[in-house]
Amino acid sequence: MATSLPIQTRARVYAPDGAAQAAGSIPWYIWLSVAGVTSAVIGVHWDISWHRSIGRDTFWTPAHIAIQLCGVIAGITCGYLILATTFTKSALRAASVNVLGFRGPLGAFLCAWGGFTMITSAPFDDWWHSAYGLDVKILSPPHVLLAVGMLAVQIGALLLVAAQMNRVPGQQARRRLENLFLYLAGMILIVLLILVLEYTHRVFLHTAICYRVIAMLTPIVLAIASRATGRRWAATIVSSIYFLFVLALLWILPLFPAQPKLGPVLHEVTQFIPAGFPLLIVVAAFLLDWIWPRISGWGEWKRAAVSGVVFLASLLAVEWPFADLLQSTVGRNAFFGSIYFDYNQSPLGYAATYRFVPFETPMEFRVGLLIALACAIVSFRLGFRTGDWLRRVRR
Amino acid sequence: MSAVRLAAVSVLLLALASTSRLSAHIGSPDVFYEGKAGPYPLLVTIRPPDVIPGVATVEVRSLAPGVREIHLTPTPMTGEASKHPPVADIAQRSVLNANEFTGSLWLMSFGSWEVHVRVDGEQGTGEIAVPVSAVATKIKPIQPGVAYFLIGMMVFLTAGMVAIVGASVREAQLPVGAPSKSWTRSGIIGMAIAAAVLAAALWYGGKWWGDDAAAYRQKLYKPLGIKATLSNPDRLDLRLDEPGWLALRRLDDLTPDHDHLMHLFLVRWPSMDVVYHLHPDETAPGYFAILLPSLQAGHYRIYGDIVHENGLAETAAGEIDLPEITEGKPLAFDDAGGPLAVSETDSFDLGDGYRMVWLRTPGVPITAKKAYSFLFEILDPTGQPTADLEPYMGMGGHAEVIKKDGSVFAHIHPTGTVPMGSMAIASPASMLAMRETNPGPIVSFPYGMPTPGVYRIFVQLKRNSHVETGGFNVAVQ
Repeated sequence: MATSLPIQTRARVYAPDGAAQAAGSIPWYIWLSVAGVTSAVIGVHWDISWHRSIGRDTFWTPAHIAIQLCGVIAGITCGYLILATTFTKSALRAASVNVLGFRGPLGAFLCAWGGFTMITSAPFDDWWHSAYGLDVKILSPPHVLLAVGMLAVQIGALLLVAAQMNRVPGQQARRRLENLFLYLAGMILIVLLILVLEYTHRVFLHTAICYRVIAMLTPIVLAIASRATGRRWAATIVSSIYFLFVLALLWILPLFPAQPKLGPVLHEVTQFIPAGFPLLIVVAAFLLDWIWPRISGWGEWKRAAVSGVVFLASLLAVEWPFADLLQSTVGRNAFFGSIYFDYNQSPLGYAATYRFVPFETPMEFRVGLLIALACAIVSFRLGFRTGDWLRRVRR
Repeated sequence: MSAVRLAAVSVLLLALASTSRLSAHIGSPDVFYEGKAGPYPLLVTIRPPDVIPGVATVEVRSLAPGVREIHLTPTPMTGEASKHPPVADIAQRSVLNANEFTGSLWLMSFGSWEVHVRVDGEQGTGEIAVPVSAVATKIKPIQPGVAYFLIGMMVFLTAGMVAIVGASVREAQLPVGAPSKSWTRSGIIGMAIAAAVLAAALWYGGKWWGDDAAAYRQKLYKPLGIKATLSNPDRLDLRLDEPGWLALRRLDDLTPDHDHLMHLFLVRWPSMDVVYHLHPDETAPGYFAILLPSLQAGHYRIYGDIVHENGLAETAAGEIDLPEITEGKPLAFDDAGGPLAVSETDSFDLGDGYRMVWLRTPGVPITAKKAYSFLFEILDPTGQPTADLEPYMGMGGHAEVIKKDGSVFAHIHPTGTVPMGSMAIASPASMLAMRETNPGPIVSFPYGMPTPGVYRIFVQLKRNSHVETGGFNVAVQ
């Protein structure tokens, strides 16, 4: 691993991060990017809860503003950073890349790109609603554009932190940046698992498709976090952030009153409806963190294969019986959250009658699990490679 | 989505947007209803959205003082969902007129809905349910400014991402302070791969958009047609022509409206100097027949009003060339009409010294989209209002409003535009009260013309067991 080189250390009052570099502290634009990412993640969960409990909204709901704030913060912050780096004698110029003649940290360009993409999705989505009616689905072209923008901001923030982490002098400063990196990885994991929320509901926890989507999205994040930071318990920390964040929402959101404003109202709702109990990925992550140092000498594909097996087997071992618990009377309380239903959820549906979705035959289930294993292995392999790449990013 | 694709979709959407609005009536989607919510007389106007799910605007005018608050709740008219309303919205009182209230409501699915209007006031609480059809009638075109913005951002973001990928491959791992490289082989390869991936993503996005637009276009309301044939020599056979709309529309579920499954209007076109209001019999689901009265030859437009058992009301339209029929079946029961010398004034000569008079303030223009109560009465030879008006098919009268360019047809009553078949499902109690109403001497028709232009109003009032039909022209601004 190449030694981190200190950036030009002469602090300048106009230098975007010169002073921060000199002091070994975290630059302001990284804090703002992290704030933007957090705002978006909270906003998305809030918005989903809004649709499940109130139903009706406008563009100007607090949840939408929290989401778009991410784009605005990222666009303005990183736009300024790029302009300052390009047109002033910024200390950061030595650690910048060239994009279309502009200079700035690579992460700043990606953040700005994501911010502009998110902002572009707003008029697109507004027109989409007026042309085709209110969305009754999560995945529509404008929503995907918004999600892509949000993901770009998150990855951009991750790149900003990674570059700073890799070039900062001093272990203490690096460790703080590693913590931020792990936090951002946790935020990314939360957003990725939102995209597949419909497949990870408790009624799907005995289907292969549920484990397939988890195996596609989760390993890559855990592997990146581990490789890029080199931290012993990186995967455990990232999955714990996801777990605690979703658990906090499960317990906090119902404290706020809400009433359905769209019909039909098939369940009486008096408070915000949260997402379900978080997935127990943290158990699999703990085992991965434990086993990775023990197989560090193995080839990458072999490590990915072992990781895939450990991940899927341990996830199944804990999530399967836990799903039984969630569906049982034990789960029907505010702690486990199996008592919450959308205002328009059918009283005869699987969720309200605490039944598992039975749409896979035993053969389809077995084949589905094999596909899930393959997805996990490939996802880990990609994560290892990307994590290694991130560990070498300096700009 | 590529620029060409976006432009093509924009043109397609603009073309689709030109499709005329069609719903229960033709070209007249707004609902006007006059009736009582308990002790409170109201004029309710509902302007349904063009897209579903979408927002309907509701305007309520209290025709008497004493209203404190108005609550609005939409529900599907039938089915399980009709039993589970959301929390009501409170209509906002106008700052200019204390008797006027407005609100907006989401209609979430296709089909027949009803808006529950609950009034709280000095005389307690009263409620009425007003039916409204929720159908998508057009796809709103993308505004040129938004289209140019999206195309510009698509080019900017695509180029930006390719450049970012190039920079990440080329420079991201260079030591701090090392000179940047302008072009490297790996950077070019990275940019090429990024460009290919983005092109594939844009192609897929464009296809997805196109598929969604096509799926939504399938849901756009397609009105029923009427295929008419003449035989024997005065038997008119009618077949409802289903153009292929949503599966929720059937032809074997019609319910009586004023005791008839179909109200048929024959209007000689384009002169509109002959009009008949007839009631054919259903011979099989979707098939009707009637023996025509003696009538003059000409090209006739056909409008058939029907109501489905879920409350959805429709007007099926068609055309036919008819020869002169000299020995037709005499008009009987509820059938009425004939040749008309349409009045250019507010007074229509009914013969024998009787006149039908439109009571309106001279010189005050009628404006499109505004709700009016159009008032009519019949004067006897001495100039006094007749006191012998009778209910005509349970109503104080019937009126047909037809725009001269043929883009609007509406069949209205003293209660407004809501067909009684729909009202009977939405609010059976109020329906019963209406049937007991003795009309006159002044009969009111609440309505608002949808667009500016010249209209003809045919008014049918019954007195002395005879249906009198008057015709009036009106220019709407």
